[in-house]
Amino acid sequence: MITITINNKEIRLERPVTVLEAAKANGIKIPHFCHHGILEQWGGCRMCLVEVEKMPRLQTACTLFVTDGMVVMTESETISNARRSVLEFILINHPLDCPVCDKAGECKLQDYVMQYGPTAGRFKEPKIRHPEGLNDPLIVRNQERCIMCTRCVRMCSGIQGASAIAVTNRGNHSSMEPFSGERFDCEYCGNCLTVCPVGAIMSRLHRYSYRSWQVTDEIQTVCPFCGVGCTMIAQVRDNALMRVVPKLGLGSNKGLLCNRGRFGYEYVGSGERLKNPLIKKNGKLQPASWEEALDTVASRLKDIKNSSGGNAIAGIAGARCTNEDNYAFQKLIRGLGSNNIDSIARMGFAGGQRIFEGMLGPGVTSTPLSGIADSDAVLVVGGDPSEVNPVLGVHIRMAFKKGAKVITIGHAPGLGRHRTAGLLPHPQADGVVMGGLISAILKDKKSLPGGNRPLEEKITVMHLPSADDAAAACKLSAEDIGRLAKQLAGASSVSIVVGREAGGNKDTAMLVSVLSYILNARIYLMSERPNEQGLVDMGCLPDMLPGGRPLAEEGLRKKCGASWGIDIPADEGLTLMEMIQAASSGGIKAMYVMGENPAFNLPDTKNTEEALRRLDFLVVQDIFMTETARMADVVLPALSWIEKDGTYTNAERKIQRLKKAISITGMEDWKIVAEVGKRIGLKMPYGKAADIMKEIARVSPLHAGLTYADIEGGDNLWPYKGEPHKNWFSFPELSADAFTSPAEEGLCLMLEKPLFHSGTLSRKSPALNSISPEAVLRLSPATASGLNLKDGDFAKVSTEKGSLSLKVKIDRGIDGPAAFVSNNFEGRGLFSLTGYRLDPVTKSPLTEGRQISIEKE
Amino acid sequence: MLSDKTIEEVEALKRRYPDPRGAILPSLYIAQREFGWLSPEAFEAVSIVLGVPKAHLRGVASFYAMYRHKPVGRHLIQLCTNVSCMIFGAEDLVSLLKNRYGAEVGGTSPDGRFSLVIMECIGACEAAPAMLVNEDFHNNLTENNITEILEKYK
Repeated sequence: MITITINNKEIRLERPVTVLEAAKANGIKIPHFCHHGILEQWGGCRMCLVEVEKMPRLQTACTLFVTDGMVVMTESETISNARRSVLEFILINHPLDCPVCDKAGECKLQDYVMQYGPTAGRFKEPKIRHPEGLNDPLIVRNQERCIMCTRCVRMCSGIQGASAIAVTNRGNHSSMEPFSGERFDCEYCGNCLTVCPVGAIMSRLHRYSYRSWQVTDEIQTVCPFCGVGCTMIAQVRDNALMRVVPKLGLGSNKGLLCNRGRFGYEYVGSGERLKNPLIKKNGKLQPASWEEALDTVASRLKDIKNSSGGNAIAGIAGARCTNEDNYAFQKLIRGLGSNNIDSIARMGFAGGQRIFEGMLGPGVTSTPLSGIADSDAVLVVGGDPSEVNPVLGVHIRMAFKKGAKVITIGHAPGLGRHRTAGLLPHPQADGVVMGGLISAILKDKKSLPGGNRPLEEKITVMHLPSADDAAAACKLSAEDIGRLAKQLAGASSVSIVVGREAGGNKDTAMLVSVLSYILNARIYLMSERPNEQGLVDMGCLPDMLPGGRPLAEEGLRKKCGASWGIDIPADEGLTLMEMIQAASSGGIKAMYVMGENPAFNLPDTKNTEEALRRLDFLVVQDIFMTETARMADVVLPALSWIEKDGTYTNAERKIQRLKKAISITGMEDWKIVAEVGKRIGLKMPYGKAADIMKEIARVSPLHAGLTYADIEGGDNLWPYKGEPHKNWFSFPELSADAFTSPAEEGLCLMLEKPLFHSGTLSRKSPALNSISPEAVLRLSPATASGLNLKDGDFAKVSTEKGSLSLKVKIDRGIDGPAAFVSNNFEGRGLFSLTGYRLDPVTKSPLTEGRQISIEKE
Repeated sequence: MLSDKTIEEVEALKRRYPDPRGAILPSLYIAQREFGWLSPEAFEAVSIVLGVPKAHLRGVASFYAMYRHKPVGRHLIQLCTNVSCMIFGAEDLVSLLKNRYGAEVGGTSPDGRFSLVIMECIGACEAAPAMLVNEDFHNNLTENNITEILEKYK
């Protein structure tokens, strides 16, 4: 125990912290610029000077650690004089342009000058001028306002790991600059502008539109872009969303955001938002009243149910809709007598999770994000976390900086500078490498851990390839695999981060489970959408009811059905791609799509689109006129994430509250679904989202008794207040070709997960479009020069399925013979070029037809 | 891009330090030699070999006065005009360079042949005026012999 005295107040501390932290924890404010809770200490701004008894001169509170018996004064005349001098130095060149500075009102410099002075300047020399940097579409730099606290640079290199900005030039002329000196060429996380204490780096999105004191409401909500579920504060002025900001210490993101979260929110105010229900008449979608639209949907669905049976109806739930929306939606589909309900979570998330849970036990992916940074080894497989889940990627980079071994299997350019090793087998040969790794680790560990007998029995009959065989099969070095195996085996705390590509394939998912078991590693499942986990938990699956209860268990099914007043059919429904296939063959006649864009987001676009066209009746509920909505018979406009209440469940399986920050006319997804439900005779008496949560808490054993108050109070981690299902262990068989590497050589088409976009919503965001306006073909410098292509050339990319003309972008982050195309821009998506085959167990579509030819245009 | 030989040189420098950032300054000199100045490509090339972010490289380079931050001519004349050299007519040489070659102080001749930088004493007062052309030292300059000397630099 350390006892110190600050301002005559005795303070007891468990462990040595800095004087500044000790003071802060006890409500004593010490002014500071360069100190920031998340950043490394620097001690450069000299604002936090304090007097310490028996020390000859003033000390910086942010770097001085407390010692027992220390006596500190944080305010005195000497200190005020020193601080005034510091401020006077800063004001030598800082302009007095507060009246036109967006930061005014939340500027530390403004506040401290008010507190300590000086009230007038003594310098006659002209101030050094830096022209305002308006060359960047998102970030405006006002370097004459910069006070050189270097918070932004320490954030960029120390935390974000992008190292895109640096202090440039010398002395008085120093400024913070990106490499080009003008435009940023970075990840656009914008974390530099969060930490800027003055108006030197700011967002252009809300420039000159409001002052911090004009904010009428600050609402804590969750980011709508990916499954990390970053906590953010929405600042509202007169019912308009002005900006979103993170808050230090709040949520798993701990004060960080990524570019999508920070700059992507403008889609909410897009003029392209759907406002009225539309009904197709004479082949054209025409505005209609809500009554007419809802009646049409209900009566057509009823007709089809009566004529072709409930099995002819299918529903695709929405990964960006809330738990409440999705719960109501699956109830509606089941109420129509169908278990044909699935979602985009099928593309790798849900299936992967099922295998992990089946092999390792329930809740195995419920792992707090903070565990990554504390790991001493991180294995990444099947995706690039820095692009899919940027804030999760930052945690991996932090682990690397702390000395953890970071090993990637497959393409992960975002971790290029933050990994100890990367293995790059053929995209369909992850399994071989993992097989080799497992046998090398087992050789190193000498024995299995014991504990999970069935799994160990399974491992012994897996016919794992030796490290040598694996290396030979995918043309890697056996020594590399052996070395990495040693690193993993020697680590005491291992995290495995699994992407969609690895989760959707049962073989790789099984091998990940084995790796996790023998290394005692935590599993983190990357999640591309904000509520993929919620879809699983709410029963938007053809074989599961809310709370992760299998449909096959009769007792549970009956109980659930009784509480809804319906008979839930016993037969499992179709999965996502099976529904599309059934639509194509005529088995499915009606489809209800909520908050999803299957015509664009599912592989083999052309066939998917044709299948949707064959439907007798297609309802699309969305906030934009998507590719799918254009084909619909009825389009129902919904509300966006900031306009409704509810909950999302993130990839950590943490339920978080979404709060309504602005009101517009319209109906939430759950309300529209309930209106349809009522019209077909279902009991859906919901007045507000909380009513649905009450019903969820009654019906789902996992969420038993859970309320919004619990969630907000922090009682929001899996298994909440409920009971996880006693897991039935299930061990699928490895495919015969699980440990083979495809023989074919040549260029391989890969899906780019663009950092700046996430599909249907992000492409309606002007800010994100300004930094990433179009689809490109990304090639490594070697591939491009082999094809005689330069940056900016146009090339025709052809596969068996079709061809696209795309602009070439040379990307040094890419290794090997791979060509990356995103699936983000209308009419320019990778899924129009590739086919798929269904994984027999996870039923995820696995990309087929990666062989491409590229011609210069 | 850097030549293979230069990459080897930078790699060798990198091995001499526990942290590759230690090799930044000499590596930038090597790149400057190859590119003529610290162009964005030069930074990029060094960044790839050292594994140090290019924004950081640029930040470091901008601190120092003797890196070239803009393109220079084929030959760099660094002429001293400090006291001794001035007394022995260095200012006349400055005018000569301007009139004959069009090389202004801090600028480059229109044909891209010479760039002129004025130095503060290069320690050659005993044989003033003096100059450096690239890395070659010349002293006892006169209006006659300077043109002869410069003829060697095409």
